[in-house]
Amino acid sequence: MRANFGKASAMGDEAPLYFYTHLFLAHPETRQMFPVSMAHQRDRLFQALGEVVARVDDLDSLVPILQQLGRDHRKFGTVAAHYPAVGASLLATLEHFDDGWNEQLAADWTAAYQLVAQVMVEAAESADGPPWWDAVVVGHERRTFDVAVLRLQPKEPMDFVPGESISLETERRPRLWRYYSPANAPRPDGLLEIHVKAHDGGPVSSALVRQVQVGDELRLGPPVGHLSFDAESDRDLLLVAGGTGLAAAKSLLDHVTQHGPPRRVDLFVGARTEEHLYDREDLERLAAEHSWLSVTFAVSEDSWSTLEHGHIAEVMMRGGPWTSRDVYAVGPGPMVEDTVARLVAHGVPRQRVRTEVFAPSRPSPTVDGEVTS
Amino acid sequence: MSIEQRGAGGAGGRLSPADVQSVTFSRSTMLHPGYSDAEVDRFLDRVGDELTQLQQENAALQEQLADLQARLESVESRPAPGEQAMGILAAAQQTADQYVAEAEAFSRVMTSEAREQYEGQLRDAREKAGAIIQAAQEAATGAVAADAESRPADPNHPDAEALQRQVVYLQAFGQACRVQLRSYLEALLTDVETEWGRATPEALPQPPLRSPAPPNRPAVEAAPAESNGAAPTADASATDREPNVVKSVSGPQR
Repeated sequence: MRANFGKASAMGDEAPLYFYTHLFLAHPETRQMFPVSMAHQRDRLFQALGEVVARVDDLDSLVPILQQLGRDHRKFGTVAAHYPAVGASLLATLEHFDDGWNEQLAADWTAAYQLVAQVMVEAAESADGPPWWDAVVVGHERRTFDVAVLRLQPKEPMDFVPGESISLETERRPRLWRYYSPANAPRPDGLLEIHVKAHDGGPVSSALVRQVQVGDELRLGPPVGHLSFDAESDRDLLLVAGGTGLAAAKSLLDHVTQHGPPRRVDLFVGARTEEHLYDREDLERLAAEHSWLSVTFAVSEDSWSTLEHGHIAEVMMRGGPWTSRDVYAVGPGPMVEDTVARLVAHGVPRQRVRTEVFAPSRPSPTVDGEVTS
Repeated sequence: MSIEQRGAGGAGGRLSPADVQSVTFSRSTMLHPGYSDAEVDRFLDRVGDELTQLQQENAALQEQLADLQARLESVESRPAPGEQAMGILAAAQQTADQYVAEAEAFSRVMTSEAREQYEGQLRDAREKAGAIIQAAQEAATGAVAADAESRPADPNHPDAEALQRQVVYLQAFGQACRVQLRSYLEALLTDVETEWGRATPEALPQPPLRSPAPPNRPAVEAAPAESNGAAPTADASATDREPNVVKSVSGPQR
């Protein structure tokens, strides 16, 4: 099976192109579940299949992944009846690109696919909560050239853990889902605040920042945990945030505000220049309201600023000591790595430093459909 | 006797319906009338084995049938797409992909150029503003100096210089007090943090000291008041600024 899969995946884009063409012709009703441009979808398909094939001997690690996939696929409108259609097209594709295709391979792949489909369907059917949430945009503020803060009102209550992310889709960019972190803990009125940075050429983020208006409807997928927040811990908190990673940090901060008992919170927020500190006003208000909170802003490329100068991890280390803290670092990759390295050297146990890297959900494509960084 | 040859309980060969119909059992003995128990038991064993095997074969066949039917349905209900249709759709999809990619690339270039221009203009404006402010300050300093030179010593303020010295002294004194207090508090806090960092949560019966900020301010205010009666006014204004500086501007206060 691996050799057979290798032959198909060696064909690059051709194999997934064949697969989707076959699927859409055999089952035209499946086309509307996919975005207009399929270039990135094609990359993803074989990547996901490759993961399944690589772990086919290790069901213990494969099953949870498939269950998660099955639950998450509900938001695309996937139902049990779609699975055999995908299976038939997959087999046709694997057969098409393999001269040595035989009955045994067909039987093995059929059995493997049936298992995968069964796990995903069962997980989807037993999942709690709606497949997706409809939400209305009730606030939209452009804070900088390319950052906006959106306030969303889900029509059904949505429960999540602070620091979790939700995927969302706007009708302006149908079938393109991107992950964002709410910048608050769950509230009685259900409001969610999200921070969006428009990436150059990024279809969804640009639309969310520059086009979406109050009154627009969005679809939200089920919350997913990336940053595992330990709400039970009574340790004081050190939060280090860069870019829109601030949203996740603010979510933890909001949890402490709402639920106490007051844990001391030191929040460090970094940006290139003062203009990029898009949420400064609100953070200063919070710092003034709560004696247990300190907020430090730092700029790395702004010689005129009266704020602290330097990269945020460097600025954070001017304070301290932080050895007793629960640490959460969220932001661009290099910032997170820098923070972890400095804190570990400082003596904070690695398991008490929890991180999430905020990056564009995918790099923009070139004209040839190649992915660049 | 068929029993002896084919064996009611004998080994070898599968049991056929004819075997069951034609089976005969020998009589036991005069003392114990009826069929031989042993022969009947052996035969029943064979019948049981045969039934088990038949049921297993039946189940396997059923499964195979369902599997084949499922495959048949998936293959036959939808005719396989023709090669020509596949080619046309694939080409259309690739064309659409390329247009989207071109639009995204165009938007990427546009926005990044717009941003560069925006940030460049902002930078220029700030530099110009900075230069203007600096020039204005220099002009003001020059004017004050010229003013001071042109005017003779004011007889109403004979002690201006002495007062100036006292202000400098008091400022330095206030600064020294703050520095000492801060390093004392820092050392205290370092101890607490280090100890707490080392301790396991279980070993900690009471929540340790929190929020060291509040004691900071009264302590600073009190110190100069006790040691020097002249200091409070100048120093209190300095400490009033402290919380702002700590919270919103300079941050790492420890």
